Amino acid sequence: MNKYLSGASCAVLAAFAATAFVAQTGNAQAGEFDGVTIEAKLIGGQQYEALYARIPEWEAATGAKVEIISKKNHFELDKEFKSDIAAGTTDWCVGSNHSSFASQYSSLYTDLTDLISKDVVAEFVPANIKAATFDGELVMLPRAQFDVSALYYQKDLYDDAARAKAFEEEYGYKLAVPETWAQVKDQAIFFADPPNFYGTQYAGKDEAIVGRYYEMVVAEGGKLFNDDFSPAFDSEEGKRALQWFVDLYKAGAVPAGTTNYLWDDLGNGFASGTIALNLDWPGWAAFFNDPSSSKVAGNVGVAPAPKGSAGVRTGWSGFHGFSVTDDCENKEAAASLVEFLTNEDSQKLESAAGPLPSRTAVWDYVSEQAKDDPYRSEVLAAFKETAATAFAVPPTALWIESTNLIYPELQAAIVGDKTVDEALADASEAVDELMQEEGVY
Amino acid sequence: MKRLKLPQWLVLLLPAIIILSAVVLIPLVLSLYSSFTSYRLTRPDSIFNWVGLFNYEKAITDAKFWAAFGRTVLLLTVALNLEMLLGLGIAIMVSKVTRGQRLLRTMMMFPMMFSPILVGFQFKFIFNDNVGLVNNALQSLGITDTAIPWLVDGNLAMFSIIFAEVWTSTSVFGILILAGLYAIPRDPLEAAKVDGCTALQSFRYVTLPFLMPFIYIAMAIRSLDVARAYDIVQIMTNGGPARRTELLWTLIGRTGYVDARMGYANAMGYISIFLAIFFTVYFFKKLTKSRQELGMGM
Repeated sequence: MNKYLSGASCAVLAAFAATAFVAQTGNAQAGEFDGVTIEAKLIGGQQYEALYARIPEWEAATGAKVEIISKKNHFELDKEFKSDIAAGTTDWCVGSNHSSFASQYSSLYTDLTDLISKDVVAEFVPANIKAATFDGELVMLPRAQFDVSALYYQKDLYDDAARAKAFEEEYGYKLAVPETWAQVKDQAIFFADPPNFYGTQYAGKDEAIVGRYYEMVVAEGGKLFNDDFSPAFDSEEGKRALQWFVDLYKAGAVPAGTTNYLWDDLGNGFASGTIALNLDWPGWAAFFNDPSSSKVAGNVGVAPAPKGSAGVRTGWSGFHGFSVTDDCENKEAAASLVEFLTNEDSQKLESAAGPLPSRTAVWDYVSEQAKDDPYRSEVLAAFKETAATAFAVPPTALWIESTNLIYPELQAAIVGDKTVDEALADASEAVDELMQEEGVY
Repeated sequence: MKRLKLPQWLVLLLPAIIILSAVVLIPLVLSLYSSFTSYRLTRPDSIFNWVGLFNYEKAITDAKFWAAFGRTVLLLTVALNLEMLLGLGIAIMVSKVTRGQRLLRTMMMFPMMFSPILVGFQFKFIFNDNVGLVNNALQSLGITDTAIPWLVDGNLAMFSIIFAEVWTSTSVFGILILAGLYAIPRDPLEAAKVDGCTALQSFRYVTLPFLMPFIYIAMAIRSLDVARAYDIVQIMTNGGPARRTELLWTLIGRTGYVDARMGYANAMGYISIFLAIFFTVYFFKKLTKSRQELGMGM
């Protein structure tokens, strides 16, 4: 009898578990894609891996198999995708994508509009969906890796009365967490004590510095490109924006090597306790406040990105997502996997570790979860405020190529090889030549 | 029907011809062809868009290209000479060691065993202005109280790259010159001693001429290596800041793979190959001459 009972209980439990499982894996139905193998090329890295551990759930639910045939960082994947396009080897199915790169892959990825239901698309943050849409085609679904930068700072710098007094005497206003980039500049110069301590720092090369410059131009009231994608940054706003970077470098308020820094150098720099103010990504929030990785743990404050002279916040944003190739044999299965990897449960899992979600409901969920954790709540509030006015990179396939023409000129102005006017005129001329050569106008 | 019969020599050579065509000839011809087109990786059909000499004209009239060309020649000249002198010194010292020479020879080759990418990361950290070893050591020893921007300053950045190159590849010279030292016959050296030559004189007039063929072979190999220097520079500075350390292959690599302008990158590549050809021909001429001087014929 006992044996019979336990058998029955198991059957009920199994049925219940299966129901819950199907509910969790979204719209996929059991055995729907039996025997299908989906080849995927995904972004690799510790912060992205937790999500991939969910893939077996989707496999069990649909009967399909996922074979990850490439796992690299996005710059390496970008080169691989371009080689694939050139060689015509694009019959794998699912690829990691990024909003800053997506416009280049128009011939690689398919329009997801007909593969993903409108209701599902409506559950994402509308601005993210807009930035994932090129020429009316939805090229990817965003995962919970939304990126925009907010201002991290060392809190105790604002607790010292003597320092506050000295600052007010020198600059004529009270020392408080900066709300504008002009204040960031004043305070960075005031706090700096090279070579032991620096006021701030910035990414100094590749697309990274152009992204930072781009958001500063917008915050100053200007634009990087006109509507026809002719360069628009050789303007008063563009010059003011670049001058900010130049002034900080000249004043020694940023590390001398900042023009050679990328994200890891910046994150580790702030964690080493030698930087006062640091505009950085949400992915660093937990790292900065963890005593085992950061000397400033327990002393980190986070504020929304400051505003430029036009009263606009900086807010260069981007996000990771997943796309389906045009040559994929079973697009429905691939789209189902993409939907699974970006569904509510997937986003809850990813955002639990710190990254920002791209689904409206998950934003509410993580805010609710962080209620009892003051630091996490501060982080989320700052990023939510910044995300509200965030903007993506200009939607041109020539974005990355333009940044490769612009960044050496920005660097030349920063390290003093050229004046701001010369550098921007040269960069503008180079981008103009590129756009004309490519027949953009 | 008569069966087609190929001459025997052709049948025997056919596998080699097929393999060489597949891995060398076809890519070469294709890349040469694509340098006359506006080929972009992201638009495969652009490979049929013939633009004549446009890419070559663009490269030849581009000051940035020639600046990178000049910097590559500078790197090549300085790095090769330094490596040769240091390698010669190390080889002579190791050849004098009587105990533990095998261990020393193996240790000498350690730097060569690291991937250039790792060497790049290692020196990027060592020369970091804020948390790097060099600056921390200099500051702790009280030699300087400023953060020296090793990877940013125009001269220091090139110095840092040359340092990394020399560190990783001096042993190529060391090993080849050591092989040369072992091959020197003892008689001329003993004759020189009997004739009353000083150590310096026997080195200058006996040892060095015997070593020159080995040195030129090492030079030829390393000149090809350095002329296509990419990994270490890519990691340490990526050609920056403000193109201060831009070399031919960082420029070409970025144009080809990041900007996806493969046609233009190939045109720059073909112009750059002349640099490699020039140095190879130069060193082989020197090699032939030094062998003739030793009475070794060709």
